Amino acid sequence: MQSWRGKSLWLALSASWLLVLLRVFPLLRLAVPARPWTSAPQGWPRWLDTELLPSFSQPGELPEDAPQPPQAPRGGGCDWGACFDASKCRTGGLKVFVHPVAGPVSAAHRKILASIESSRYHTASPEEACLLLFLSLEVPAGECSPVPQQWNGGRNHLVLDLHPAPCPQTFQRGRAMVAKASPTVDTFRPGFDVALPLLPEAHPLRGGAPGQLRQHSPHPGVPLLALAEERGGWRTAGTDPSACPWDGRCEQDRGPEQTHPGGTLPNATFCLIPGHRPDALHFLQALQAGCIPVLLSPRWELPFSEVIDWTKAAIVADERLPFQVLAALQEMPLTRVLALRQQTQFLWDAYFSSVEKVMHTTLEIIQDRIFGASAHASLLWNSPPGALLALPTFSTSPSDFPFYHLQRGSRPVGRFSALIWVGAPGQPPLKLIQAVAGSQNCAQILVLWSSEKPPPSRWPETAVPLTVMDGQRKVSDRFFPHRAISTDAILSLDGHSSVTTSEVDFAFLVWQSFPERMVGFLTWNHFWDEAQGGWGYTAERANEFSMVLTSAAFYHRYYHTLFTHSLPKALRTLADEAPTCVDILMNFLVAAVTKLPPIKVPYGKQHFEATPPLVPGGPEPQPTARDCINQMAAGFGYMPLVSSRLRLDPVLFKDPVSVLRKKYRSLEKP
Amino acid sequence: MGQVCLEREEEAACVIMCASVKYNIRGPALIPRMKSKHRIYYITLFSIVLLGLIATGMFQFWPHSIESSSDWSVEKRSVRDVPVVRLPADSPIPERGDLSCRMHTCFDVYRCGFNPKNKIKVYIYSLKKYVDDFGVPVSNTISREYNELLTAISDSDYYTDDISRACLFVPSIDVLNQNTLRIKETAQALAQLSRWDRGTNHLLFNMLPGGPPDYNTALDVPRDRALLAGGGFSTWTYRQGYDVSIPVYSPLSAEVDLPEKGPGPRRYFLLSSQMAVHPEYREDLEALQARHGEAVLVLDKCTNLSEGVLSVRRRCHKHQVFDYPQVLQEATFCVVLRGARLGQAVLSDVLRAGCVPVVIADSYVLPFSEVLDWKRASVVVPEEKMSEAYSILQSIPQRQIEEMQRQARWFWEAYFQSIKAIALATLQIINDRIYPYAALSYEEWNDPPTVKRGSVSNPLFLPLIPPQSQGFTAIVLTYDRVESLFRVITEVSKVPSLSKLLVVWNNQNKNPPEDSLWPKIRVPLKVVRTAENKLSNRFFPYDEIETEAVLAIDDDIIMLTSDELQFGYEVWREFPDRLVGYPGRLHLWDHEMNKWKYESEWTNEVSMVLTGAAFYHKYFNYLYTYKMPGDIKNWVDAHMNCEDIAMNFLVANVTGKAVIKVTPRKKFKCPECTAIDGLSLDQTHMVERSECINKFASVFGTMPLKVVEHRADPVLYKDDFPEKLKSFPNIGSL
Repeated sequence: MQSWRGKSLWLALSASWLLVLLRVFPLLRLAVPARPWTSAPQGWPRWLDTELLPSFSQPGELPEDAPQPPQAPRGGGCDWGACFDASKCRTGGLKVFVHPVAGPVSAAHRKILASIESSRYHTASPEEACLLLFLSLEVPAGECSPVPQQWNGGRNHLVLDLHPAPCPQTFQRGRAMVAKASPTVDTFRPGFDVALPLLPEAHPLRGGAPGQLRQHSPHPGVPLLALAEERGGWRTAGTDPSACPWDGRCEQDRGPEQTHPGGTLPNATFCLIPGHRPDALHFLQALQAGCIPVLLSPRWELPFSEVIDWTKAAIVADERLPFQVLAALQEMPLTRVLALRQQTQFLWDAYFSSVEKVMHTTLEIIQDRIFGASAHASLLWNSPPGALLALPTFSTSPSDFPFYHLQRGSRPVGRFSALIWVGAPGQPPLKLIQAVAGSQNCAQILVLWSSEKPPPSRWPETAVPLTVMDGQRKVSDRFFPHRAISTDAILSLDGHSSVTTSEVDFAFLVWQSFPERMVGFLTWNHFWDEAQGGWGYTAERANEFSMVLTSAAFYHRYYHTLFTHSLPKALRTLADEAPTCVDILMNFLVAAVTKLPPIKVPYGKQHFEATPPLVPGGPEPQPTARDCINQMAAGFGYMPLVSSRLRLDPVLFKDPVSVLRKKYRSLEKP
Repeated sequence: MGQVCLEREEEAACVIMCASVKYNIRGPALIPRMKSKHRIYYITLFSIVLLGLIATGMFQFWPHSIESSSDWSVEKRSVRDVPVVRLPADSPIPERGDLSCRMHTCFDVYRCGFNPKNKIKVYIYSLKKYVDDFGVPVSNTISREYNELLTAISDSDYYTDDISRACLFVPSIDVLNQNTLRIKETAQALAQLSRWDRGTNHLLFNMLPGGPPDYNTALDVPRDRALLAGGGFSTWTYRQGYDVSIPVYSPLSAEVDLPEKGPGPRRYFLLSSQMAVHPEYREDLEALQARHGEAVLVLDKCTNLSEGVLSVRRRCHKHQVFDYPQVLQEATFCVVLRGARLGQAVLSDVLRAGCVPVVIADSYVLPFSEVLDWKRASVVVPEEKMSEAYSILQSIPQRQIEEMQRQARWFWEAYFQSIKAIALATLQIINDRIYPYAALSYEEWNDPPTVKRGSVSNPLFLPLIPPQSQGFTAIVLTYDRVESLFRVITEVSKVPSLSKLLVVWNNQNKNPPEDSLWPKIRVPLKVVRTAENKLSNRFFPYDEIETEAVLAIDDDIIMLTSDELQFGYEVWREFPDRLVGYPGRLHLWDHEMNKWKYESEWTNEVSMVLTGAAFYHKYFNYLYTYKMPGDIKNWVDAHMNCEDIAMNFLVANVTGKAVIKVTPRKKFKCPECTAIDGLSLDQTHMVERSECINKFASVFGTMPLKVVEHRADPVLYKDDFPEKLKSFPNIGSL
C-alpha cells in the first residue's frame, strides 16, 4: 500500500516535473542570448545558384559604348577644367592682376589690395596676368558692383566677395570664380570657387595676433563648452548635457555660466557655433583661442576647405542630434582633444591671423590647381609650418623638407656642404678650408667668391671636392639656392670664421637631431628697449640668446629657397644695404617658420677673441643695425624671435672624468 | 539494495550539481539528516532535476544541427524561387532625383539616433522578382556582383535585420547596370518598398549609369531623395557630400591572377589600353606615339583573332599581340580615357598593375574622392590638353612617380579589388558623415600600411614654449622614509617655479605623518594615499596635477641643487614633448648575446634618463596609465623595477624623439644608486635592467629609443665668465 502510494506519488511528481520542464524549456531557450543559428538566417541568403547569376556587365558590353566626342559642359555651371584657361599660367607662372577699383575704398579693402600687391604673384600688367582679380565693392543690398573692362565673360577672373550681403548675380558672373566669405554648400562650386573666412574689419594686414594657446592640454579648471551667442559674445557652460546649451529652451536649468562681452575670446575646450551666418566670425575667434570649433550646421563650406582638412581641427556636427554630439564631446579621448586643439592653433597662425595670410592662401590654392601633380601635398597644407612656408617648387617629396621627417619616418640625408662666403678683403680662407675638409661628414666645399679681387687660381688639395663660384657681390647672395649644393645640410661660413674640425663634427651631429632649426656657435640676443621704444639686440655674452650668426652655422638648404623666393623683396634689399641685417633676416625667417629658438653649441674661446669681424661693429651694434631689427619686425608684422637659455654640449663636456673617455675632447681645450 | 542504489545516484547528482556552479543549490550535506520518508521525495526531485539538466544539455547541443538543417532548407533557396511582385502600370513613380539634396536637408538622422559604437545600422530588403501587368520581368532579378555586395553588407558590422532600428536601407533591386533594367518600372518597384518614404535614407548602388544616346552620368531611374553610390558621376550630377562616387568594378580583378610588381621605371612610359576610344581621341593618342616613339604604346582591339571571350584579354598594336591586363605592368603611366561613360573599369585594372592612371575625362568625379587624395595616385589631364600629356608627365620627378605607383596599388588593394571592398568603403563614408567625431582620418584613408607603420604623429606637435609662470608640479613617491622625504620637500620647495607638491603615499600599512609635522613650504602640499603599493602609482594622472609640467622625484634625491632643478624646468619648457632628466643611460646591442643591453658606464651617448628626477608633460601620465602597450604596466608592478625604462620607451615611441639629459649629473647619491659603482649587487641590477629593455622592445615590436650625443647646459656653463652674472651658477657636479 505504502509502496503503491509512494509509486503513484513518484509518478505524479515526475509527470508534473516533466510538464514544467516542457513548458519552461522554450522560455529557457529564448533566454539564451542570440545564438548564431537564431540570427544567421535573417541575413542575406546564400543562394543555391550564386554561380549561375549573370554578371552586371557582359564582357562584350563595355566596348559597345559609343564613345562621344568632346562636349560642352552641361548644366550651365563651371568647373576648373571647363572655365579656366590655365595655359597662360603654365608658361608664365601664376601672375595676378588686380582691376583698379573705382570709387571709394574702405580700410578693409585697402588691406586686401596691399596684401595682394605684396604677393610674389602680383603683376601690374593685365596682359601678363593669367588671373584677374576683381574686388566686389560694398553696394546696397541686392545689387552688385559693375563688372570691369576686360571682363571677357569672367574667364580667368576671381571675384572677391567679402560681404555677407549676397549679390544675386553671383551665379551670373559667368565663368568667374568666386572667393566668398563663408558660402553655403548649395551655391559653392567645389574645386572652382574658394571659401574664405569672414574677416572682421579690424583684422591686421600682416603678422597678426598669435594664437592664444599657451599650453598643449586644456587646463583642468577650464569649462568644457562655450557657446557662441547671437550678440557676438561667448557663454561658457558646464559639462551637464541636459542643459542643452544651444537653443535657449532650457535656459533655467543651466549650471554656472558666464557671459563674455563681444570681442573677447572664449576660454573653453569646445566652442559650439550654431549655424547662423554672423557666427562665421565666431569661428575665427574659436580658432585663435585654441577652442575646438564645433559647428552645429553642415550648411557652411569651411574656409579653404579645398586644401585644409578640417576634420583635424574642428567638428562639424548635426544640430538635430544634440545629445549625441554632447555625449561624443564628453567622451572624446584626451589624445584627440589634444590633437584638435593644437591643430586649431596651427591653422590660425598659418592661414588666418592676418589679411595677408588669407589672401596669399587664396592665391596659393589657385596656384596649386595650376600645378596639378606638383602641387602641395596634403601633408604640407595640414601640418606645421603650413603651405605658405613650404614651397612646392623646392620639391614634391615631403622628405626633402626639414619639417616632415617624423611623419614620413625618414631622416635628413647624408653629409653637409660647407658654403664659404668670401667678402671684401678677398683672402682665400685656407685654414678654414683645411679644418672643414677634415670632417668626415663634409661632402663638398663651395667657395662663394664675392670679393672685387679675382679668386686665386690655385686652391689647396682637399679630400672633398672644392668648387669656387662667382658671387654677385651682394650679401643676400649667400642665401641663394645654388644648384651646386647637393646635401640637405649647409654649413654656412664666412671667410673670416675659424672653426675646428671637432666643433664642426659635433654641431653637425646636433643639427641632425634638429634639422628644422639653425645650429650655430656665436649668438646674439634681442630685447625690447624701453628707452628707445623699439627692439634692440646685443652681441654681448649673456644667459640668453635668440639668434645665431650665419657666419658659422648649420641649417637646412631649404631655407635658401625660402629666403630667396618667399621673403618680400624690400627686406632682402635692406639686408643687402646693411650687411649685418642679413644675419637678423635669416634668423627672423627661421624663427617665423619654426616658432622655436636656434640652438647653440660650444665654441672654443680662443676664436671668440681672435675674430672680431665675426661680431660686426663690436659689442654695440651700429645705429643702422639697430634700425634693421625694427624694420625687419615691421616687415614681418611681429617679432618672431624666441629666446633660449640652454646650450647643447657633448655628454661628458668638461666633466671631471678621464679625457680618454671623451669623444669630443678637443672641444674642451682652453 | 535499493537504498544503496539511491545513494549512489545521490552522489552522482551531487557531483554533477557541484560541478555546475549555476545550479548548485546548497548541496547534499542536508540530506542525511532528513527522515527517509522525505528523503525519497528529495531524491526524486533531484533525479528529475538531473534529468532536466541532461535534457537541457541535449537541447543546447543538439538543436544546433536539427535547426540549422531545417534552416538550411529554408536559406539555400534558388534565386528563381523568390516571391513575384506584380507592379500595376499605374503604380506611383518617385520624383526625379533632387539635385539640391544634402545630408542636412534630405537625410533623416533621427533614424541613426544614439549609437554607442558610432556605427550606422543598415537594413537590406528581401529579394523579390518584379513583373509588370503582363508578367514581363522588370529586370534581371539580381546580378552576381549585386548579390556579392549585399552579402558583404549582410556580413558586416553595419547590418541589422530589424527594419525599425535601421538608419540606412538598401533595396535588393539591382540597378548596378542601367542597361539591364526598365526605368519606369524599376522606379515603381522602388516606390512600393515598405519604408521608401520618398527615398529617404535609401542607398542605391549603380556602376553603369545612363544609356544611349546621351549617356547621363547618373542613374536615370527616378529615385527622389535616395542616396546614390554611382560609378561615373560628373561634377554636374554629383551631389557633393550626399552621393558617393564609387569605382566601376572590373570583373578581371577576380578572374585574373596578377602578382604585384614593385614601383620603378618600366618599359613604356605611357600606355593606352582601352578598346573603345573615340576616333578623335585615338588620333591624338597616335600622334603622341608618333612623336615620342617607343616610349608610348597605343593598343587597340585585335581584329585578326577569332571572336570570343579571350578577346577581352588581348590587345594589339599593329600585328603585335599583348596580354591584358598583364601589359599594364609594363607601363609607368596608363591612360584612362572617358568612353560614353565617365567611369571606366580600366581604372581598376590600371591601379592594380601599379601603373599611374592618367585620367582624361573632364568633370569626372573620381571614385571615393570625398576621402581619397587622388593627387597622390593619379594625374588628371584636361581633354583639350591631351596632346601635351607627355610633357606634363615628363615633368614629374622619378621619386614622385614611384610614390604614385605605390599609392595606386594601395588604392586598388584597399578600395577597388572586390565588390566587398567597394561596398564597405561606401558605407564607411556615409558612416563618417553621420558620426563625424568618430570619422576615419585622412591618414587612415590614404596612407599605405608601410607609411602608417613608419610614421610617428607626435601628440604634442605644436611648437610651443609654455609660459614660465605656469610652473611645475613635483610628485614625490614615498613609502616610509619620512625623514628623507621631508628633506626632499624642503629642497624642492626652494625652486622658484615650483607651483605644487604632491606626495604619493604608497604605504598602506602606515598612515602619513600628521599635518603639523610636515615642513612648512610656500606652495600647496597634497598627500595622496594609494590603494596598493605599486610603482605605477608614480605615473598616475592625478586630478591634483594642474600644471602641464611634472617633476617626478624620488624621496631620497636630495643632492640636486635648486639651480639645477630650475634649469631642468627651463629646458623642459623648450622641449615640452620630451623627457628631461639628469643622469642618462644607454641601451646597446650585444652582438655576442644577440640582444639589448643596459649600460650605465661613462659613455658619450644617451638614450634614456632616470625618472628618479625628471620633468615631463603630464599627458604622458595619462598614456602610461591607460595606453601602455601590452602587459608592460603589470609587468613593471610585478617586478617592482624598470618603471623608468618603460616611461622612456613610451615617450620615445609616441613622439619619435630622444630624451634630453640636463647637466653633468651622472648618478643619484642614494643607497640604491651606489650599486652602479661595480659592487656585486650591480651585476644582478644590470641583468634585470637589460631584461626589461629586451622585454619592452619585444612588446613594442621595435626599439623606439633614440641615441643622442648631446646634453643641455646653461648657455654660459663653465665659460670663463663671472659666476655671479650667470643665471644658474650652482649646477651640481657628477
